[in-house]
Amino acid sequence: MKPPLGVSLLRLFAVQGSWNYERMLGLGVGVAQEPLLRDLRSGNGDGDGGPVYRAAVARAAHFFNAHPYLCGLVVGAAARAEHDGASPEQVERLRRALCGPLGSIGDRLVWAGWLPLTSALTVAAVALGAGGWAVAGFLLVYNAGHVALRWWALSAGWRHGTRVAVALHHPAIIRAQGLVGPMAAFAAGWCLPLAAVWLARPLPPWGMTAAALVAVAGVSALLAAPRLTAQRLGLILIAVALVIGVAWP
Amino acid sequence: MITSAVVLGTLVLWGTLVGLDLVSVPQMMIARPLVAGAGAGLLLGDLGAGLVVGLVLELFQYAILPVGAVRYPEYGPATVAAVAVAQAGGGGATAGGDRGGVLALGLGVLVGLITAMAGGLSLHQLRRLNARVVHAADAVLEAGDPRALARLHGAAIGRDAIRAALVTGFGLGLAWVARFAVGTLTARDLALLDAVAIGAAFAAAAAGLLRVVGTGTQRRWLAAGLAGGMLTAWLA
Repeated sequence: MKPPLGVSLLRLFAVQGSWNYERMLGLGVGVAQEPLLRDLRSGNGDGDGGPVYRAAVARAAHFFNAHPYLCGLVVGAAARAEHDGASPEQVERLRRALCGPLGSIGDRLVWAGWLPLTSALTVAAVALGAGGWAVAGFLLVYNAGHVALRWWALSAGWRHGTRVAVALHHPAIIRAQGLVGPMAAFAAGWCLPLAAVWLARPLPPWGMTAAALVAVAGVSALLAAPRLTAQRLGLILIAVALVIGVAWP
Repeated sequence: MITSAVVLGTLVLWGTLVGLDLVSVPQMMIARPLVAGAGAGLLLGDLGAGLVVGLVLELFQYAILPVGAVRYPEYGPATVAAVAVAQAGGGGATAGGDRGGVLALGLGVLVGLITAMAGGLSLHQLRRLNARVVHAADAVLEAGDPRALARLHGAAIGRDAIRAALVTGFGLGLAWVARFAVGTLTARDLALLDAVAIGAAFAAAAAGLLRVVGTGTQRRWLAAGLAGGMLTAWLA
C-alpha cells in the first residue's frame, strides 16, 4: 500500500464529519484527498504548496454527495486525474458524473443490502439465544465488508483515474448488487417471526393479542398514510396505552 | 440501574461515541440499536435488558433508509437512554423467561422514541450550522488552504461530539424521570405498554421492509423468509 493511500483511507472513515447542506460531503472528500495531492506541491513543502497543489485541494473540497463508503472512488480518481494533468473542468466533470452512480450503487449495495442482511441475521441470532456473541459477530462481519468496500473504492479510483467508470462495471459489483438485495429481503423476513416469538414470550396471553393487533393496525396505518412515520406512530400508540393504563382502574 | 457517577459518565461517553458513529466517524454501526443497546446493557451490568431494548428499537430502525440528505431519527443515544429505563424496571437478563425481564420495556421505548426525535432534530440543526460555518469560510476554502480545511472538518466533528453528548444527556434525564413512573404503574399497565411497544416495532419493521423491497422479486424473497422464519420458530 502506498503510504498516502493508507492515510487517505483512514481519513475516509470521517468523510461525513462535516456534512452540511451547502457542500454536503465536499469538505470530507477534500480532507481525504489531500494526502494524495501532496506530490503536486512545489518547493520543499515548507511553503504554501504552490498554486497547482492549492487549486487541487480547493477543487477536492467542492460540493460532493454520494454513499460514504464509496467516496474513496472519487477521492482516488480525482487525485489521479490531478496527477495526470487533467484540466480543472475535467476534474469537476468527473466529480459531478460520479455523484449519482456512487450514491445509487452504495444505497443498493449497503443501505438496502449488506446492512439489513447482517442486521436481520443478528436479530435472528439474538432471538435464537446467541446473546451478546451475535452482536460481536455482526460488528465483525459487517465491518469486514465495510472496510473492504472502502479500500476497494479508493484503490480502484486511484488505479483508473478518469476512466473510473470501468470499476463501476466490475462484474463483482454488478453481481453483488443482484445478490445482496434478495438475500437481505429473505433474512429480514426470516428474522421477524423469530423476534416476535422471543419478544412476546414473557407477555400474558392478552398482551400477545394486543401486540398482534397493534402490529396489524400499525402496518396498515403506515402503508395507508406515507406521511405518518413509524416513530410518530410508536409515540402515539405508547402514549395512548399509558393513558389507558393510568385511567383504567 | 445507574448507581454511580462513573456509570452515568460511561453511559454518556458510550452515547457520544454511538452518536458520532451514525454520521461522522467511523460509521462502523455501533450506532445500530442492537449494538448501542448491548453496550449500554453491559455498562449497566445487564446485557439481557440491552439486547431486548436494542432489538425492539432495531425493528423501528428498519423503517429508515438513510439515503441522500433525508432527515431521520437518531436511535443510537436514544437506545442508551431506553436501556437505562428498562433496566431500572427490573432488568432483562432472562428476557423471554420471566415477567420481570421486560417490565419497563414500553416506557424505555417511549423514552427512546422521544430521544430519537430530539437526536434527529439536533442533526438537522448541526448540518445547518455546519453550512453557515462553511459558507463563511468560502474564501479560505477556495484558496485551497489544507490546514484551514482540516480545521473546519475537525471542528465539525467536535460539534457533532458535543451534540451527541447533549442528546445522550437529554435521554438519560428523561430516563431518570421515567424511572419514577415505573414505580407508580401496576404490572398490568407495564405489560400493556410492553405489548404496544412490541406491536408498534413490528408494524414499523414490516412497513419499512415492504417499502424497501417494493413489489418485484424481492417481495417474494421476503415472503419466503417469513415462511422460513415461522418454520424455524416452530421447530426451535
